[in-house]
Amino acid sequence: MGAFDTVITYDKGTHIETDTGNKVSRKATIAGATNIILGGKSIIQTGSILRGDLRRSTAGQHVVISMGRYCLIGEGAIIRPPGKMYKGAFTFYPVRISDFVHIGAGCIVEAAQIGSGVEIGKGCIIGKFVIIKDLAVILPNTVLPEGTVVPSMSVWSGNPGRIVDTLPETYQETMEAKCKNYYQRFRPAA
Amino acid sequence: MSLLYACSHLDPPISPLPPSYPSSSSSFSPLHNLYFCEECDAVRCDQCVAVEVASYFCPNCLFDVPSANVRADKNRCARSCFSCPQCSSSLSIQATDSIQSGEASSSTTSAPGPPYILTCSGCRWSSKEVGWEFEKPTGIALQLQKTHSHNEPIQSEFDALKEHLDSYISTNAPPIPTPRSTRAPFRHISHLTQMASKALHRDLSGMAGSSARARPRGSGVGKDGEKEKVGWDVLGEYESKTSWKQLGLESGLEDVEKMKKLEYSGVAGVATLDRTWDKSWNGNRMASAILPQRIPLQTKLTKRCPHPTCRHLLIQPDTKSVRMKIKMVAMNYLPHAELGRRKRRVTSGSSAGGGSSENLISPEEAEMRRRERRLRGKGPLTKEEDESMDRPLEAGQVYTFALALTNPLYDPIQIRLTQPHGPKNAPEPNHLLYLPTQHFTINALKDAWAYDEEEAEEDPTFGAGGSEAGFSEEGTVTTGTGTGTGTLSKKSRMSILVGGSTREKRSRGETGVEKKGNTSIVGLEVEILPEAKGKVEFDLEVRYTYRADEVSEKGEKGKEEYKTFTFWIRVNAGQVE
Repeated sequence: MGAFDTVITYDKGTHIETDTGNKVSRKATIAGATNIILGGKSIIQTGSILRGDLRRSTAGQHVVISMGRYCLIGEGAIIRPPGKMYKGAFTFYPVRISDFVHIGAGCIVEAAQIGSGVEIGKGCIIGKFVIIKDLAVILPNTVLPEGTVVPSMSVWSGNPGRIVDTLPETYQETMEAKCKNYYQRFRPAA
Repeated sequence: MSLLYACSHLDPPISPLPPSYPSSSSSFSPLHNLYFCEECDAVRCDQCVAVEVASYFCPNCLFDVPSANVRADKNRCARSCFSCPQCSSSLSIQATDSIQSGEASSSTTSAPGPPYILTCSGCRWSSKEVGWEFEKPTGIALQLQKTHSHNEPIQSEFDALKEHLDSYISTNAPPIPTPRSTRAPFRHISHLTQMASKALHRDLSGMAGSSARARPRGSGVGKDGEKEKVGWDVLGEYESKTSWKQLGLESGLEDVEKMKKLEYSGVAGVATLDRTWDKSWNGNRMASAILPQRIPLQTKLTKRCPHPTCRHLLIQPDTKSVRMKIKMVAMNYLPHAELGRRKRRVTSGSSAGGGSSENLISPEEAEMRRRERRLRGKGPLTKEEDESMDRPLEAGQVYTFALALTNPLYDPIQIRLTQPHGPKNAPEPNHLLYLPTQHFTINALKDAWAYDEEEAEEDPTFGAGGSEAGFSEEGTVTTGTGTGTGTLSKKSRMSILVGGSTREKRSRGETGVEKKGNTSIVGLEVEILPEAKGKVEFDLEVRYTYRADEVSEKGEKGKEEYKTFTFWIRVNAGQVE
């Protein structure tokens, strides 16, 4: 698979590579970095915004955004934690993103949970407290309203998003290979 | 570009019809959609597998519904999941108190409480519009059943009719008809036919003769009416629950009401067809009158081999997780084929119009000529130019493609690539295909960690040059960060290849094959005929030889058993415009 894929290069200075292999663009806006956990081998591309500063108002350490391995935050995508009124006070809730998650360019994600092996196409809007289970595809330009639950092995599309298809049983392998392949191809220009 | 694989749909594996037959497309699907039955040693596709429902679940609350309850719940979630009548996204439960106090005085912590309503976060619809309010935020479907039991009059009528007929179906089978009662009807004779036949055989005054003549022929059925009825189904008359007279249909009051509403709301007030699709024709069809529906359940499917003597499980899902208990997919058995790296042959100077000159030559001759040209090697005459795969092909040009095959097995395999022979009268294809490398090997898939390491070390691009460049790459050790493990794994891979006794000669003499990891890349040459139009598609027959494990254990040491498997792939090289 991916025998003819070409390398995606970037200028060496534009991205920071961490010890665990994360590649983070210098032009990505990362607020509240202490509240963000990256699992390793994840890519955060140019212009994306991660709002780690929107933390729970109570004292103590809170993880706002946690992300697994082999994830991709596309160009200009925004990840922000969902918030709501709870017992008379406005509170933010953490965003949990598992392994092998690709979030396309220009997405706005306020999901509560994104399972492993999820692909979100370009220009999607994922509403507050959306739960996306393992292995799902959100086709480009889909809008998922607040609180939508996306079950495993489903394909969603439209505004508002609806289930349009189911995935083949091999999707887990396909998606994992795709994410690993993308990470390996994303490298600095020699 | 991934290619399509053929499934023979239970037929013995034969080469599928060529692409010029549009009907052949139904037997091709992408590799990731195919299954593989080890017992039958055959590819199976979604169209031919036998499907059973393994479990039901609600896509919104993800509750696993026991299959015993599914029928009673009418295949919909019986908990609190409703879909919006306007936009079909799922509704959320909201306490009404919190809305009012939230805006007015957010500082005062008023506990949100009943009544609860359903709201749609997609289009801001709320169940207040149809007057639905609930006391508890749980078990909405149950609460609704208590308060609004008859939301559609036709539904109760349908249920009553179904119950009436159910009693007919569920009554015990009729007693075995005695030889005397030959007139006992079979079950499949409809009620109407029975009534008609009863009427025909009724005794009429003055027609006693006819019935008397008929009776003896009925092989001695007694004159007793009771006996005649042996085996007859007794079905009572069905009486409808409501009558149209009660509803006042005759006075047309409903229509008047409808027209009034329509006048008020305009055409936009009528619900669109896709919103009323799953409802009866009877009833209010205004958009404002549509009620939220419980969300339909989804299923997880078990898939079996369709072969009548096999029926082995190919897919068995786990109800708890996304993992499969049994997963026999073709991806783990067949090499994965990809097409890429398109190049157009630029013929220099005089032979620039090669397409038109070859027009006059028969295809066989052209083939010969090309073969010769090929044998001469890559002379200075021919130059190749890279092209994007998306660009349309040009008629009369020669293109070369690279075909990559990736081995999913832990043993090296040997490939034979041929062009299948179509039926005799098949329409002529719009191109000529030449396979310069027909026999080659593919290295084994390695352990995931070894593979990953190698991937990380090597450059993922396969040498940009010709096929020879790739071959030389195989021989040399990669420079740069190449550590000890990298070279070691390479050597062992080579030794495995050489170890295969029958393939030794072949692997030595391999040219035109580019190898990397468990992928081998060979060239394809496609000559588009000058008058060609439309899609350029062709089938390839791939036969691979692999080592079968089971046989080698049977005492016969040293001699390894090899097996072959043949499959067909369809290559869509592009479009001629």
